[in-house]
Amino acid sequence: MEPHPVQLAVTDDLVRGRATVFFRIILAIPVFVWLLIWSIGTFFVAIAGWFVAIFTKKLPDGIHGFLCRYVRYVVHVHGYVALVTEPYPGFGGKPGYPLDVTLPDAPAEQSRARVFFRFVLALPAIAISQALGGSIGFNTSGSFNGSSSGGSHSFRFATFTGGGGALLFAVFFLAWFVGVFRARNSKGLRDAGAYAIGYTAHVLAYFLLVTEHYPLSDPAAMLGGRVEPPPVHPVHVVDNDDLRRSRLTVFFRLLLFIPHYVWLGLWGIAVAFSIFANWFVLLFRGTPAGSLHRFNSRYLRYALHVYSFLLLVANPFPGFTGLPGSYPVDLVLPDPARQNRWKTGFRLFLVIPAAIVAIALYFALYVTAVLNWFVGLFRARSPEGMHKLGVYAVRYIAQYAAYYYLITDVYPNASPLEGAEPPPEPEPTAEPQYAW
Amino acid sequence: MTRSPARAALVAALAVAWIVSAYLLWQTSVVPGSLHLPHIDVHDYFSAAQLREAARFGQFSSRLWIASTVVELVVFVLYAKWGVRFMRESAAGPVGTGMLLGMIGFALVWLAELPFDVLGLWWERRHGLSHEGYFTHVTANWFALGGQFIFLCVALGVAMGFARWLGDWWWIPAAAFFVGLATLFAFVDPYLLSTHKLHDAELAGQVRALERAEGVRHVPVVVQHVHTVTAVPNAEAMGLGPSRRIVLWDTLVDGRFSERELRVVLAHEIGHLARHHIRKEVAWYALFAFPGVYFLMRITRRRGGMGEPEAVPLALLALVVLGLLALPLQNAISRHMEAEADWMALRTTHDPAAATQLFRQFVTTTLDEPSPSTWDYVLLENHPTIAQRIAMAQAWRSWSARH
Repeated sequence: MEPHPVQLAVTDDLVRGRATVFFRIILAIPVFVWLLIWSIGTFFVAIAGWFVAIFTKKLPDGIHGFLCRYVRYVVHVHGYVALVTEPYPGFGGKPGYPLDVTLPDAPAEQSRARVFFRFVLALPAIAISQALGGSIGFNTSGSFNGSSSGGSHSFRFATFTGGGGALLFAVFFLAWFVGVFRARNSKGLRDAGAYAIGYTAHVLAYFLLVTEHYPLSDPAAMLGGRVEPPPVHPVHVVDNDDLRRSRLTVFFRLLLFIPHYVWLGLWGIAVAFSIFANWFVLLFRGTPAGSLHRFNSRYLRYALHVYSFLLLVANPFPGFTGLPGSYPVDLVLPDPARQNRWKTGFRLFLVIPAAIVAIALYFALYVTAVLNWFVGLFRARSPEGMHKLGVYAVRYIAQYAAYYYLITDVYPNASPLEGAEPPPEPEPTAEPQYAW
Repeated sequence: MTRSPARAALVAALAVAWIVSAYLLWQTSVVPGSLHLPHIDVHDYFSAAQLREAARFGQFSSRLWIASTVVELVVFVLYAKWGVRFMRESAAGPVGTGMLLGMIGFALVWLAELPFDVLGLWWERRHGLSHEGYFTHVTANWFALGGQFIFLCVALGVAMGFARWLGDWWWIPAAAFFVGLATLFAFVDPYLLSTHKLHDAELAGQVRALERAEGVRHVPVVVQHVHTVTAVPNAEAMGLGPSRRIVLWDTLVDGRFSERELRVVLAHEIGHLARHHIRKEVAWYALFAFPGVYFLMRITRRRGGMGEPEAVPLALLALVVLGLLALPLQNAISRHMEAEADWMALRTTHDPAAATQLFRQFVTTTLDEPSPSTWDYVLLENHPTIAQRIAMAQAWRSWSARH
């Protein structure tokens, strides 16, 4: 597959200055003001570019360069404000920032129809970006108010940087605390933020006619090879979905979920008691009760199957037992193992940051589900990018739930990338080598 | 050779037991067996315009029912043949897959019947009988389908679970379970409605007098808000034991009916409770459930038995066909009980004039045909016709004069 012309580059080293993190929003005020001015200019330039592109099928070089700089600057500002990067960004949108994007050097020819309908075509991507990094907003830049004899009216400028999306906001909120206390950012949060901003860059580049390529929401395509994947989490997803969707079951998905909803509720009542009992067992013994652990694990796996079905991350109707290996989007869970008693004792509080990220990803999951519903109905397939985003969301939510349900004491990893085994140590050669 | 006569004898004995039970249940009515309903000329009670309007409305509704039923049958026939293909959309075990197939079957029928449903609503709106918006109606139906799915999944879960466990004998515990479920629903139904107390103190006082007259323990009378959806007046007796209550639609107490007419309605509903009609309905259900589920077991054998998901589409078709075949009998039973409740109302209120006036009003407020065609009567009428109800009021007048 042809690589997306908008590529993310991450060279951030995770080191943060406590003071600059603490005052980040205030420090960013000049950047915001400049971005606002630039956005107003971009609004008019983009309209001009749109008219030209309808006739000439591509943007003029000057406008293309201007918009590329704008997109790059948005990435820098988002990166700085959301604590995905540390250095103060310049005001020119020049390449070389620790979170950057490469954009097409020259404007490419585009389909007139796609240019003409760009706003409509971009709406699904804009919806997803609201759940991730934010992109287009219509009321954040300022307004001109006037009044007439008939009453008052107002006109608001559209800007292309309508504030952060849900995931980016969660990342900023948590990274602020992490940065202030540890003078570092968590790699998982940084990667999640980079992914969200990368998607914003894709959406902006598409919307502003910098490229005709549709935004790509596949986390692996966005970050793969640019950041190190996290270590394998004991709770991870095995994805064997073939992207095929049945139109009929897609249409009735919500209703087909009802029996599972009832069963989830009934089983969930028992699980609530089981978690409570297991909490005491873990506190006293340090290891969970095997039967309770298995019972809760089954439930969690079942919930993952069911929500994958409901939210169109997978196609087949799931079973009612949460049997491992029984569903194309499956959950691998650890066996009962010793857990840290402190982490067990304070689990209810420790889980709060993860819950914040989980809520943001729930939002993303629901947005993609709505879009997937329409796509599935018309094409009988799920787009791969949206599917992968869905898998990322259900994986994180499952890790969060497993932590909350005391199935593991390993904290959820917010990285959009699936965990990978570290590369094997180079094997010692048989013959000792001597450096002379 | 020795098994067949024994089996035939057993089947015959069970059939006789069924007939005797049905006969005994039927015979519990207090309507005098010797009661002769006089012939009623509907033109004496209704204007030609009223009769024309009711006939027009009824004919279209009946045709719509026929078309919708035919479509339902066609869909289920096609589904019985090809529905098994949807098994590939399931990652569940046999029971879960069976549930999916059941739900998809119902969903397809819902889709196929939707145009008729909307047409029916249009027809009712056109005649001022419904105030429901199309979107609200379709949405409500959509959610109702969700409710059906729950019931369907429970039913299939039970039937398939027993079938996988007990083989061909599954029908006995399954039928018993369904009867238990019907009893539970009969008990719970009143609690599922959103109602408020009857505020009319005078009417509430009359209810107490009627309860005493019919020998019924105090039963709450509540009002259900339906006027935003329908203009049709109605009332029903619901519940078992502590959940018993009489539900009046607010379209009945909106001033269109006089106090005397409302008294007849209340006496009729209390009559249902006095004659234990809800319990009898459950008993009738039991009488139908056992042979019905037995036939289902026999029919689904050709697809490997009810324990296999492949049997579900066929089972749905069989269920619908059995339901259609049983419809005339079920309507007859319902009419029998409604007639008894009418008789109780006449016996309690001693007011055949109010009853006659009430039934006449039904023609203008519900556009019920006073004397529908025979097939309509057999297949669609679960109450006596308006003409029969007026005739009963007349018959009661003569009967009470004699006794």
